[in-house]
Amino acid sequence: MGKTMLEISHLKTKYITRFHEDVYAVDDVSLKIEEGKSLGIAGESGCGKSTLALSLMGYYFAPLHYISGDIIVDGVKISDMKPEQVRHKILGNEIAYIPQAAMNALNPTQKIISFIEDVMHAHGIKMTKKEIYDMARERFAELGLPEEVLQKHAVELSGGMKQRTVIAISTILSPKVLIADEPSSALDVTSQKMVIRMMRELMEKGYIKSMIFITHELPLLYNVTDDIMVMYAGQMVEKGTAKEMVFDPVHPYSKGLMGSIIVPESGVRERKLTAIPGTPPNLKNPPKGCRFAERCPYATPTCSAMAIDEKVFDDDRMYRCLMSVRKIREAYGNGDGE
Amino acid sequence: MKGFKKYYGQKIFWYLLTLVFAVILNFVLPRMMPGDPVSAIASRSINGMQDSTAIQKVYQDYAEKFGINKPMYEQFFIWLSHALKGDFGVSFSQYPRTVADIISSSVWWTVALQLPAIIVGWFLGNLLGAIAAYIRGVFDKVILPFFLFVSNIPAFGMATILLFIFAIRLGVAPSSGGYGFDLIPNASWVFVKSVIAHYQLPFWSIVLITIGGQAIGMRSMSIYELNADYVKYSRFLGIKDRKIVGYVFRNAMLPQITGLALSLGTMIGGALVAEIIFSYPGLGTTMLTAIKGQDYPLLSACTLIITIMVLIANLVVELLYGVIDPRVKANQQD
Repeated sequence: MGKTMLEISHLKTKYITRFHEDVYAVDDVSLKIEEGKSLGIAGESGCGKSTLALSLMGYYFAPLHYISGDIIVDGVKISDMKPEQVRHKILGNEIAYIPQAAMNALNPTQKIISFIEDVMHAHGIKMTKKEIYDMARERFAELGLPEEVLQKHAVELSGGMKQRTVIAISTILSPKVLIADEPSSALDVTSQKMVIRMMRELMEKGYIKSMIFITHELPLLYNVTDDIMVMYAGQMVEKGTAKEMVFDPVHPYSKGLMGSIIVPESGVRERKLTAIPGTPPNLKNPPKGCRFAERCPYATPTCSAMAIDEKVFDDDRMYRCLMSVRKIREAYGNGDGE
Repeated sequence: MKGFKKYYGQKIFWYLLTLVFAVILNFVLPRMMPGDPVSAIASRSINGMQDSTAIQKVYQDYAEKFGINKPMYEQFFIWLSHALKGDFGVSFSQYPRTVADIISSSVWWTVALQLPAIIVGWFLGNLLGAIAAYIRGVFDKVILPFFLFVSNIPAFGMATILLFIFAIRLGVAPSSGGYGFDLIPNASWVFVKSVIAHYQLPFWSIVLITIGGQAIGMRSMSIYELNADYVKYSRFLGIKDRKIVGYVFRNAMLPQITGLALSLGTMIGGALVAEIIFSYPGLGTTMLTAIKGQDYPLLSACTLIITIMVLIANLVVELLYGVIDPRVKANQQD
């Protein structure tokens, strides 16, 4: 067992809308990542994946607000730290972030190298321009990015190059945790592949110690991360290794999510592509009981009546459902879920 | 570098083309005014003369002197060839002073008044807009709306209001002229002090009406930029707010520079009117005299000089823009 790089327990955060309504976007989420491991977070849009990514960093600004829960980065409890301290000491340094829209993540009127200098100076690193340039050049070369990029402005880079540049900048200080929020979703497959390869290299070369990869593309997670966590309506519904999650999902929602993947395999035309009926609940007033009950083919009246807790099964897997794993598997075996 | 050359080449070409049209219009339009200024001048000389042939002779003499007996296009080329040498002919209304002489004594007053006033107004407007976007509160709710209100007062209205309050009611500033009427321009302290005192009201009247329009533009640009993705990304990299605000305002300024280029013409037009209210010895006042005296050599020289000033200012702004916004360079490269 490696050292725990990031641990969050019972994290709750909310958005406060313009009309002063609370939206509980991350509701009681716990997770743990060890050194050298990567965790994928999947779910449909609006399920709280991106909000979880933002909440993990321990730095909040309107409309996102912290409610409760602990965030521990390599033994340091950052949820107790002052926001300015988190920003100065943790962000960019211990936890790095790759935003969802990396296309616009770079200041259009600044050279890449000048932005890297700003990142270094923000963390009190005393280095001359020359030293920073040499260091950045070396790191860029290691990650297969041409040196010229440093002297360019963001507008002069292609989409894929921009994304990889953002990744290189985010990880320039060798953070312990990298949070990548849909880093490849807006790219074509070739650029996607390069981005994925780059993330793997970052791990292999030790420039990052652990990674959280957020996406709605499940096949990608299966290829990239060690573990997968599925989120639904602000909560974790199931967690396991990538293989278990793809081939043996337990929670009816995960099952449905995996069933809606389009895989180019033989017989794909014959196999019916399933979709989950209905829409996720409104998080302004989340349902009291199971949040998926309304859309679940196996739901019983008790599902909506009481809050469901996370349960552990098969040693280290977790799920959030009223039914027992055995019963669920039986139900799937009868082909009801197909 | 090739992209830059193309950008600059195109810009300069279009400005030259504009200049050609401006020169033609400058010549033609004042000459289409009704009335005949030469006969007005001639009538002064023939006062008391009885002999009609002599009167005819005097008129023809003047007509030849001012060149108005030739066809329009010929007058234009004669005028142009002289103008290129800096000779704009003789003023009708202040005969025998040359137009070049009148212009050269007034143009610097205008440049010295308007250039700093517009730059200061633009700068203060942008500062106010940026503060209103970033700090909000009283800046956004009270000060900015106030200046927006003020900026909708026409230039002459503003000048009149300032004149009334500060020169007439409070008596803290002189009411007219560029310097004390009892002084002759020289390099003494008394003269400089007098010039500064006379400078205040016209200067602030231009500054005050410039601020609001610039501030509202800067405010919305800053709000837009403050919500840009790069702001969030920079925050999550731990970069300090002070630095991020620097990025934001630099980027928000860029459209404001274009805005300045676009509104320069209107601003200068308004400011010329302000000069008239204060009887400031600049181009505005000179132009008014020229219009009143149907002095079209002087009038077209004034408008020409103003056109050239606006064009130069515009060109400088646009060329500057190419240097400070890397996107322009990038767009020109393919």
